[in-house]
Amino acid sequence: MNQVGSVGLIASLAFAAYALVAGAVGGKLRSPRITRSAERAALGFFLMVTLAVVALEYMILTNDFHNAYVAEHSNRDLLTYYKVAALWAGQEGSLLFWTWLLSIYSALVVWQNRRKNRQLMPYVISVLMGTGTFFSLLVFFVANPFQELSVVSVSGTRAFTAPDGNGLNPLLQYHSMVIHPPMLYLGYVGMVVPFAFAMAALITRQLGDNWIRTTRRWTMVPWMLLGCGILLGGNWAYAVLGWGGYWGWDPVENASLLPWLSGTAFLHSVMIQEKRGMLKVWNVALVILTFFLSIFGTFLTRSGIVSSVHAFAQSNIGPFFAVFLAIILFFSVTLLFLRLDHLKSENKLDSMVSRESGFLFNNWILLALVFAVFWGTLFPVISKAVENATVTVGAPFFNKVAIPMGLLLLLLTGAGPLLAWRKTSFQSLKRNFTLPLIVALVAGGMMFAEGVRNLYAWMTLFLSVFVLVCIVGEFWKGARTRMRTAKENFALALYNLTMRNTRRYGGYIVHIGIVLLFIGFAGQAFKTDAKGLMQEGDLLQVKNYMLRCDGLTTGDNPNYEYTRALITVTKNGEAFTSMHPEKRFYKASQQPTSYVAIHPTLSEDVYVVLAGLDPDTGKAIIQVFINPLVTWVWIGGVVTLLGTLLAMVPSRVEREMAGMRQAQELAVQAGDGF
Amino acid sequence: MSDKQNNPNSRGFANYSTLATRRYFRSFARHSSLFTRHYFFSFAALAACLLAASVARGDGARKPTLEAIGSEVQCPCGCVAPLNQCPMLDCAEKAEMRAFIKKEIADGKDETAILQDISIRYGVQALTAPPAKGFNLAVWILPGIGLMVGLGIVIVIVRRWKGKPAMVPVPPSATHDPKVLTAVEEEMKSAGLG
Repeated sequence: MNQVGSVGLIASLAFAAYALVAGAVGGKLRSPRITRSAERAALGFFLMVTLAVVALEYMILTNDFHNAYVAEHSNRDLLTYYKVAALWAGQEGSLLFWTWLLSIYSALVVWQNRRKNRQLMPYVISVLMGTGTFFSLLVFFVANPFQELSVVSVSGTRAFTAPDGNGLNPLLQYHSMVIHPPMLYLGYVGMVVPFAFAMAALITRQLGDNWIRTTRRWTMVPWMLLGCGILLGGNWAYAVLGWGGYWGWDPVENASLLPWLSGTAFLHSVMIQEKRGMLKVWNVALVILTFFLSIFGTFLTRSGIVSSVHAFAQSNIGPFFAVFLAIILFFSVTLLFLRLDHLKSENKLDSMVSRESGFLFNNWILLALVFAVFWGTLFPVISKAVENATVTVGAPFFNKVAIPMGLLLLLLTGAGPLLAWRKTSFQSLKRNFTLPLIVALVAGGMMFAEGVRNLYAWMTLFLSVFVLVCIVGEFWKGARTRMRTAKENFALALYNLTMRNTRRYGGYIVHIGIVLLFIGFAGQAFKTDAKGLMQEGDLLQVKNYMLRCDGLTTGDNPNYEYTRALITVTKNGEAFTSMHPEKRFYKASQQPTSYVAIHPTLSEDVYVVLAGLDPDTGKAIIQVFINPLVTWVWIGGVVTLLGTLLAMVPSRVEREMAGMRQAQELAVQAGDGF
Repeated sequence: MSDKQNNPNSRGFANYSTLATRRYFRSFARHSSLFTRHYFFSFAALAACLLAASVARGDGARKPTLEAIGSEVQCPCGCVAPLNQCPMLDCAEKAEMRAFIKKEIADGKDETAILQDISIRYGVQALTAPPAKGFNLAVWILPGIGLMVGLGIVIVIVRRWKGKPAMVPVPPSATHDPKVLTAVEEEMKSAGLG
């Protein structure tokens, strides 16, 4: 199968390189024939990379330890779904996986645009396949997963088949790790599509609304998947790393956040261009930045230029990525400067108190946050280069810088959508903001009376209430108006209101999701923990919870050995739950890890870690965290996902307009026929 | 009728205060350029206050705890996680550093002094955020400068936009009439277009 995989890789490289050139030539010569040929080559690229992926997965699933990658990242007793995930467990496999996702996106773009965007498509294909060529080169020549396992002896190098593999890194053997990397990668890779359309629009000078309309959904999909990937990564860190948190401002975590933030800025500012024909240069710049940051994220994860807990994914491919990043930046920025004359604003700003200015502020804060996170993440590298000093920039720095900006963004989440386009009258501001402000002040007062003294937590909860009332008020007012005018009951009015403008109301639901996320973040300020040595009968108290150890058991399965603590938890003296944290020892990799026991509720999670056994007493080292409001982070993520999905559904108005456009086109065609 | 309603002074004052408030708001709204400037600068001031609050939350005066300091120092075992997030089990370096911090707390030192001692003993890389001096000052001040430069760019963009005539002439509309505006808003809301 190594040969099959290698053939797939070399063929995919040939297809990608051909499509890159043919796309550019087809566009330049305006030749539909050459363009079609480039599109077919892009489909060929997809088929060949798929062949390589199938070959590698086949070897992993059939325990073919003749292959070096399989021997390194899998073993016989690994559960099947973890074997599937071994594809992206190591450098070579994950780069192949990246290339495969790119090929899927490219094939979808070709299929979706087979009859539209014909002027843009040659260059779209060229840019997509330019990226494909880079990754194919990397996978084939630098990080090839189809290497034979070999042993070096005095008689030379010879092929070798290992009896069993080293197994998957134990930290990766967790259910959300099976879907976290694919989601993250789908997000990273997907940003290439809006970039390709933006470049095509710049090259062809087709800088009207068309490329914007086409790329909006193509940005929302990867933005949503990247967001899911980030949250699943947080869920993994929370459940596996055992320190009681889900976000540690690790460089690789930061790298995934950066394109998500710039993508968020683009999804907002693009609306100004659609509605008012403004911010054209800015939108192209944001698309470039988002794609650049996506590749930068992959580079940071893979290169090892900064220390990270994601050390399992590092190698020496950094210089290749650095060159590719430089090419992207040079090519796109030059093109942008050459086309500045075609990107002039069509309208003027009527008032500072308008939706447009709200979006400007939103973009300002988001981009400042991108800069701060980028700067903090890279500062250790810069410090090393300038001063030859090793410094660490971690959570204290990022919390200090990001929390105030996050609070401003939270405020805009509620205030922005209530501002009208062009100009918001003072009466309208008063009408829209009085009730949310009063409710938030009352809630803030109640929180203060309840003992909330942490400034940031208080402000987060205060603003969350304000934003929730603002957004719920929008649904309420819209539904009430429909009830009056269309004589519908409340539920039907709410449904029709939402479905007539899915983009707007889906966006509101996304904002509700963001508020819920912030509520979850605020819970971190009230975290408490306790640690103790326990054996059967021992008690450990934390807040109003009492933990009793009912003993320790040991066990064994083909994959790992474990020691399990049996803990009974009571709350305020009443039976609450029983929890079983484990310490595992994975046989293949010979590595220990902990399996955290979590009892989630809407108000707080009880989080118990068996940190190990005390060498002197033999007692279990138990650490307990009471983590308030964490569940709201996951709920917020789901709500954000649902809101984004809703915003992607074509609304009734959009469908009606599309129908009208189609009818018009048919009428014109009929007229031409006469 | 209640006493309050019978009291002409009370009613008069209420009327007066309502009228005065209305007048104030009307004149405020009428002076729209003043109002927009207020809006703009209020937002900028809020941003500045939040940043200042974040900087003002000095750590030196806080009573030190093992948990708080554990989040501000790096575990020396090479796991690249803060001390209280080190995922290694039975980590000897973690235990040694925790013992050092406990001793410092027991000696009555404040957080700043403890962090200083840690940077002397383990090197400045043991701190999860570098001290704001020398070249490391750049890491702290550049985000603020970035924020301000961004604000400057926004102001320049807005000024250009405001000074520029629209490419497409906007027909005169009734949008300045609050009654018409409200009716249009309601109509649009009922259609879900709002």
